[in-house]
Amino acid sequence: MAVVAHPAPRSPRAREIRRHALIYAGLFPFLVIAVFPVFWMAITALKQDPDLYRMDVVPFWFHLPPTWRNFDFLFHNTFYKDWIINTMAISFWVSAITLLTAVPAGYALARLRLPFAENLGIGIFLTYLVPAIILFIPLARVVSTLDLQDSWWSLVVVYPTFTIPFCTWLLMGFFKTVPFEIEEAAMVDGCGQLGALCRVVLPVSWPGLITAVIFSFTLSMQDFLYALAFVSISEQKPVPLGVATELIRGDVFFWGSLMAGALLVGVPVAIIYNLFLDKFITGITGAAIK
Amino acid sequence: MADLSAGGSASPGTSLSVPVGGRVRGLSWWRTPTARRYLFGYTLLAPAVLYVSLLVGIPFLFSLYLAMSDAAVGDPVARFVGIANFQAALENATFYTALRNTLVFTLGAGIMKGLLGTTLAFLLLRPFVGRKFVRALIVIPFTLPIAVSVLGWKWMFDSQFSVMNWGLHRLGLIGGYGSPDWPIWLGQPGLALLSVMFVNVWRGFPFSAIVLLAGLTSVPPEIIEAAKVDGANFIQRFRKVIVPMIAPILFVGTAFDTVFTLSDLSIVYLLTNGGPDGATEILPTLAYNTGIKAGALGRGAAISLFLFPLLLPAIIVLLRTLRRRQY
Repeated sequence: MAVVAHPAPRSPRAREIRRHALIYAGLFPFLVIAVFPVFWMAITALKQDPDLYRMDVVPFWFHLPPTWRNFDFLFHNTFYKDWIINTMAISFWVSAITLLTAVPAGYALARLRLPFAENLGIGIFLTYLVPAIILFIPLARVVSTLDLQDSWWSLVVVYPTFTIPFCTWLLMGFFKTVPFEIEEAAMVDGCGQLGALCRVVLPVSWPGLITAVIFSFTLSMQDFLYALAFVSISEQKPVPLGVATELIRGDVFFWGSLMAGALLVGVPVAIIYNLFLDKFITGITGAAIK
Repeated sequence: MADLSAGGSASPGTSLSVPVGGRVRGLSWWRTPTARRYLFGYTLLAPAVLYVSLLVGIPFLFSLYLAMSDAAVGDPVARFVGIANFQAALENATFYTALRNTLVFTLGAGIMKGLLGTTLAFLLLRPFVGRKFVRALIVIPFTLPIAVSVLGWKWMFDSQFSVMNWGLHRLGLIGGYGSPDWPIWLGQPGLALLSVMFVNVWRGFPFSAIVLLAGLTSVPPEIIEAAKVDGANFIQRFRKVIVPMIAPILFVGTAFDTVFTLSDLSIVYLLTNGGPDGATEILPTLAYNTGIKAGALGRGAAISLFLFPLLLPAIIVLLRTLRRRQY
């Protein structure tokens, strides 16, 4: 350790306090910028309408009692309930398709020493980088050929195009960390390769499987373009699209309900994503850290 | 029988019966443990490969075909029109506006995200009380579904009840509503482009910071200590030691962010839909409005394909970083 000679040597404790103060001061603007919009959305969702449109008072708190009216409106005057059910159903099917395809693929790429495994893995991962904006027009044709236009089922078909590549890559990394010995032991006990996979490897891999499900959900929730392009019937929409397109009548914005509807789904998604964020970062950068 | 030697040298880690030369020669190749492992492996891979080929690979090729046809919504017959759609795009002034805005948007927002992300990563690098909590709060913009947070910004950019204008007015920096210096964030051309870029930066800076942080924590502290002992100051350590070591992860992070930014439609679509007067028109909104809203699938596909050369550098960087890892 390099010892820096200070004119007036401070105690380690004082130095720690100083360091903390500097860090907090540096982080403060970032924190405000990151959190304020959420606070603002939340307070908007809970305000009565007249309280929303006043510029003469400090807007950061209530001047009329808070209300649940905006949430009531969502559930009684809009298709919000349907949107939540659609979102859940989409997430369920997308997760199922992703698990059924990405788990075997990730396992094969990580463990079976196939020729071209590395290139195949990279190839699958690269498809994650082909953006929706290039694919949505040809996929519109696919969706209409399958006769799924204007149904949330079209999104079940389309979302795996990004969840499968991402989760295959993620699970490939995950399966590499499972020790070979447990499979060998299983095969000594008479399991075939499939048996070893199902009975021994998968049970110890549940954290990876849960991560794959979480990302099937959170990545699906980040989509806007596919939903916008393929689903235009109100009661078939997923939440983000529904909130963004159905709560505006001409030029009139129902700001309170808009914010309520956005946050009610946004906050849980943000919390779940937050808990798994490191896995997401490892997923996409893991290849670069060695 | 070249396959056999290739298979044998791959030394099956999972199969237990080590093939003895004599036995292998007695069986046909496809009954060897290696062959069965390959068969098993490719069977496991097939669903994912098929799905991705059918719904990413083929549609991508199909978009090339569409771009060269006059396909339209509701018109089942598409005629081949060659490069007419690309030519039409290149003769359209809006296209150049969109292209320029796309470049300004991506580059400008990218630089801001890099600067803010770097600052934030260094602030979060060393342990302090409440670090995990602070980090969880700061990544909120990245974790909120994008359509959700953009709606929040739309409300904050409201022409009359913008909370930011309220603050600026109270600070005495701008006049009241209706006065000439009252900014209408999404209604004035220059401001509108800045606003949509700002939302992109707001959403992306936590990602840059976290990626950079992941890189920084992967640098062994001994190396930095060694550089310190050798007399390198902070800037030198950063440029000569840290950056080269974390270059791969920086490339990957930048590549991802560039792809997301270039191809994201939701911010502009929800905030301004390209307006006012094309000031925020970007290639994704132009492609969507042409292809889906106006129903000219071929035209839309051609416009979205113009994004591909812009995406290509990012994809190549990523590919090279990924492949270098093998050796």
